Amino acid sequence: MVIPLDGLEYHPSGGPEDRHGGPAVVSKSAPLWVRVRKNHWTTRLIALAAFLVVWWILTTPWAWNGDKPIMLPLYLPSIPSVWNAFIRANTIHPIAEGVDREVVGEYGYYLWQHLLATLQRIGIGLFFAIVIGLPLGLLMASVKIISVSVEPYINFLRSLPPLGYIGLLIVWFGIDNTSKIWLLFLAAFPPITIATIAGVSGIKEDQIHAAQSLGASRLQVVSSVTVPAIAPDLITGIRVALGFAWTTVVAAELNNGIPGIGGLAYLSGTELKTPLTITCIIVIGITAIVLDSIIKAMERVLTPWRGKA
Amino acid sequence: MSRDKSLVVDGVRQFFGPKNSRVQALSRTDLVIEPGQFVCLAGPSGCGKTTLLRLIAGFINPSEGQITVSGSEIIGPGPDRGVVFQSPTLYPWMDVASNVELGLKFQGVSKDQRRADSERYLQMVGLTDFAHRRTYELSGGMQQRCQIARVLASDPEFILMDEPFGALDALTRERLQNELLDIWRKTGKTILFITHSVDEAVFLGSRVLVMSPRPGKIVFDEPAIFSKPGESIAAEEIRSLPAFLELRERVRSSIQHSH
Repeated sequence: MVIPLDGLEYHPSGGPEDRHGGPAVVSKSAPLWVRVRKNHWTTRLIALAAFLVVWWILTTPWAWNGDKPIMLPLYLPSIPSVWNAFIRANTIHPIAEGVDREVVGEYGYYLWQHLLATLQRIGIGLFFAIVIGLPLGLLMASVKIISVSVEPYINFLRSLPPLGYIGLLIVWFGIDNTSKIWLLFLAAFPPITIATIAGVSGIKEDQIHAAQSLGASRLQVVSSVTVPAIAPDLITGIRVALGFAWTTVVAAELNNGIPGIGGLAYLSGTELKTPLTITCIIVIGITAIVLDSIIKAMERVLTPWRGKA
Repeated sequence: MSRDKSLVVDGVRQFFGPKNSRVQALSRTDLVIEPGQFVCLAGPSGCGKTTLLRLIAGFINPSEGQITVSGSEIIGPGPDRGVVFQSPTLYPWMDVASNVELGLKFQGVSKDQRRADSERYLQMVGLTDFAHRRTYELSGGMQQRCQIARVLASDPEFILMDEPFGALDALTRERLQNELLDIWRKTGKTILFITHSVDEAVFLGSRVLVMSPRPGKIVFDEPAIFSKPGESIAAEEIRSLPAFLELRERVRSSIQHSH
């Protein structure tokens, strides 16, 4: 319950002006313009429709333009051609029109196999980033010498564009999966380490004292106080790390990146298959949003006290 | 001998800051707290009350002198000295009952026993209906009660309380004072209670200390006779006793003169 305070106006959520900016409850029978003002999803759907209409206008042949679209398909493919590329990438289809030979998806893999291969790499990279980054963060937060000596290297690494050192990783670890996972790991672990350090330094001293006065051993302090106390920061770190890893995915899959959605996006671009490139971009973007929503949901379930205590 | 179980502050001095510009927070302090006493330490803010409490709790080590319990020196925090902090340091990742059970969990008490104990102490502080709520869903007064229940459940010999009711409104504060007196009468725990309220100190304590600031020094130490273990007088009655008013006046003037 929120208690109205003097001098502070209190609007129950769903009221005329929702202070928190969250979606308010609006009746379905309300006129559209009311719903746009009140409901973010209605707004988003309308924005998407507007975007598709502009795309359609730009890519449809017009009589006044000599039966040509405003933007040529090479630059901006039409919506149906992107849809066809999406279908082709997910089916067994003839290699070309009028040819009997049939192939699977794109470059021998269905689109979901490309996506899955990438997700696996990200998953493994993120796994090692947590396994290494979390203890490193705890160590750096508790041992001054380690923090002073390691921190500059983490900041150095964090500032490097992955494209700059992918070549080096390939020389060291080969052109197959290992170098790609290394790249994703290197992109993902600094945010986790930094978040862990921030989490530990944010623990109130008295929370540790309280546990010690209740008879906690060193290990019990870590398991009952330190770890749960940094959980919100850690989850934020993982969320940032996943975002970094995901934006690094095309760089990771530049060389020998098939199967892989990043490799497919890059390769199709170099071969001027723009509809397929756009398909890949849409899939990469939507997957990123879905992954982020999953972590945000985990955040709500695992650390419900976040921001409240 | 009762003295065997007492808490002894022996020639303790406390400095803070670097050696060349150090600040003395506590001048030489000697103090014996006997078992069963309810010692209230009053004084203006910044006078070193909290420093003394944190020394006894073992959160900091004395620059000089030593503090002993039952003859053995304090070298760190321990479950024999429960601490009730000024702002409730409850753990938001646990529900109310789990917070109360935490000390028992650290001691390795079985789950069933823990449940039984936490139910008992939650009932004592009137939080039975909130056992499975999250701590941040409680009001400030309820959080303080939960903290008191948590300390009681771990069964310490000494309870150190650092202005626990300082942030509460007057009504809640008075109610909790009465509850605390009740608990003290029932359990016979030894309590060191820090407050900046003269009224609170004189009302609660079986012994009232006053500390003067810069550097902290105990300048007043007298028994308060209004509330004895086993005896229960109404709060309004105590507050209207001439002896209560007289002691309160003397404590007040001792604080004013110490400035």
